[in-house]
Amino acid sequence: MAPTRRDVLLLSASAVAAALVPAGAAQASNGVWQAIDEFTGSALRLEGGVLLDAPEIFDNGGAVPIRVVAEGARRIALFNDGNPNPGVAVFNFGRLVPPEATIRIRLAQSQTVYAVAEMADGTYREASQKIAVTVGGCG
Amino acid sequence: MAQPRPRVKLPRSIEADVPFTVKTRITHPMHTGERHDSDGVLVPRRIINRFVVSYNGEVAITVDLEPAVSADPYVQFEMAVPASGVLEFQWFDDDGSVYSLSKQVEVD
Repeated sequence: MAPTRRDVLLLSASAVAAALVPAGAAQASNGVWQAIDEFTGSALRLEGGVLLDAPEIFDNGGAVPIRVVAEGARRIALFNDGNPNPGVAVFNFGRLVPPEATIRIRLAQSQTVYAVAEMADGTYREASQKIAVTVGGCG
Repeated sequence: MAQPRPRVKLPRSIEADVPFTVKTRITHPMHTGERHDSDGVLVPRRIINRFVVSYNGEVAITVDLEPAVSADPYVQFEMAVPASGVLEFQWFDDDGSVYSLSKQVEVD
């Protein structure tokens, strides 16, 4: 049977969707998605609820300041998609420390940084930010 | 390598149950294990892999660090304490060393 117009449209729509999703993933050859899945136990991650405060452009990739805040989180993990290894840091917050922290990180090249928060109810939240660095920090 | 030197900065005055900022840093090269020295020899990985802060024995925050953390790792956070006590900071090195610092907190 010849494909109908609707079949063709559906196919091309899914091809576009398929092209869109891995576009970011294709660039990430350092295993960032597996690393995030390990942290979350492959749980669904919702957008929002996490503030990732980082510069959009920074001259020194050797020490990029990153601040994360996630009200109600018990753990926050940072990941990158452009360094040799995807992990950056995992914060575990006790009773005395609100879920907020600042750290300085290395970025070997311009890339995206992800903050994934494990909330007190066991759900996960995510924020990401593209950071352009003029001098890489892992040379 | 010079002996890592930890430093912690607290505000001059701290009030009970009012959040204050804790700034921490330790001098450490954080060798990623990816770099080569000037002779082309791979510098083995050696990083601070864990940072733990406790207050009167209660864990306040722990941080697991990867090689993507900058040299001389800097960590800043907020905390609030109900009463005076001792803040303990511990940095764990890949080579098994533990560097410690404690600060007396006097609540106004």
